[in-house]
Amino acid sequence: MNRLRAALGSEWLTTRAQIALGLLFVAAALPKLADPPSFAHMIYNYRILPGSLVNLFALVLPWFELLAGVALLLGLWTRTSAALIGFLLLVFIAAISFNLFRGNAIDCGCFDVKAVGQSVAERLSEMRGDILRDLGVLALAAQVVFASREKGISG
Amino acid sequence: MNLRRHILETATILLVAVAIALVSNTLASRERKLKLPGDYPNATTVGSSSKVNGEPAAAPAKPQGPVGTSVVLPPSKKSPVSSSPAAPAADRDLLARFPPHPDKPYVEIPGEDAARLHTAGVPFLDARRTSLFEDGHVAGARSVSVWESDVDEKVMALMGEQDGAKPLVLYCSGGDCEDSHLLAQKLWGAGFNDVLVYRDGFPDWVKRGGAVRRGAAP
Repeated sequence: MNRLRAALGSEWLTTRAQIALGLLFVAAALPKLADPPSFAHMIYNYRILPGSLVNLFALVLPWFELLAGVALLLGLWTRTSAALIGFLLLVFIAAISFNLFRGNAIDCGCFDVKAVGQSVAERLSEMRGDILRDLGVLALAAQVVFASREKGISG
Repeated sequence: MNLRRHILETATILLVAVAIALVSNTLASRERKLKLPGDYPNATTVGSSSKVNGEPAAAPAKPQGPVGTSVVLPPSKKSPVSSSPAAPAADRDLLARFPPHPDKPYVEIPGEDAARLHTAGVPFLDARRTSLFEDGHVAGARSVSVWESDVDEKVMALMGEQDGAKPLVLYCSGGDCEDSHLLAQKLWGAGFNDVLVYRDGFPDWVKRGGAVRRGAAP
C-alpha cells in the first residue's frame, strides 16, 4: 500500500501529469480564443446558463483554461492550477451528464468549437466518451494536487 | 495560511483571465467580438429557442404569446426556384397565405414556399456566421448573424427599412440549426410580426438548385 502510494506520488509521475494537463488545457483553450462567437454558440447549446451570461463565459473561460494550463507547464502555482483544472473538469462532467440525462444531444465544444454535423445518436454516444475522457483527466489533476500536498509543494 | 494563499492565487488567475478577456473582446474584429451581456431568449430551455410545447416566450417588448407552437403551414403547389417575375395577382395570393402573426415569433415554412416567396421578392435574412454567408448564400439575402456583436445594429437598420407587418424569410443551416429561430425571436421583440423561418435552410436551398451568391454582398 505504501509502495503504491509512493509510486502514485512520485516526482516522475507528477511532472508528467502536470505537463500533460498543462498541454491539454492550452490545446483546449486555443480554438475557443480564436472564435469566441462559435464557443458562445456551444455554451448556449448546453442550455444551462442564463442568456445574459453566455457571452461572458465564452470570453473568460478560455483565458482561464489557458492561464491555468500555462501555469502548470511553467511549474507556477502548481497545486492551485491543478485544483482549478480539477474543478473545471467537475463542472464539465456535471454539465455533459445533465444534458445526457435529459437527452439534449450537444457537441462538447471541448477541443473544437465547430459543429461537426453528427446525428443525435452519434452526439449522445460521443458525450458518454467525453465524460470518460474528462474523468481520466480529472484523475491526472487529482494526482498533481495530492502529490503536491504530500511534498508540501504549493507553488 | 496555505488556504489563504490558494484563494489569492485563484483570485489572481480569475481576475487576470477576466481582464484579458474583456480587453481582447474590445480589440476584436466585428466577426470575433461578442456583445456583453449576451441576449439569448430561452437559453435554458431544451429543444429549441421556442419550440418546446407550452413554454412562454422570452422575447422582450412583446405580449407573451403561445410561442411554443411553431406552426408549419401546408406547402403550396410545387414551384421551381427561378428568377422569373411572378404576376402581381399571384404575388398577392401568395403573400395573403402568410399574414402577420403577432402572437408568435415565427412560422416555419418548407422549401417550396421559400422558393415562391423568393421569386415574389420577399427579403431573405441569413442568420449563419458571416464566414458561412460569404462562402455562399441565397441570392439577395442579407447577413444578420445572430452570434456576432453587430446583430442589434443590423436589426435596428432593418427596422428603419422594412415594414414590420410584411413577411421576412430567415434561414440558417437546416437540421437542428436554431440560429434563424433565435434571430426570429429578436426580430419579433423588435416589432416584426411576419417572420417566416425556412425550416430546412441553406442546404435545402442548394439541393433545390436555388440561386446562390458568394461574397459579402447580397
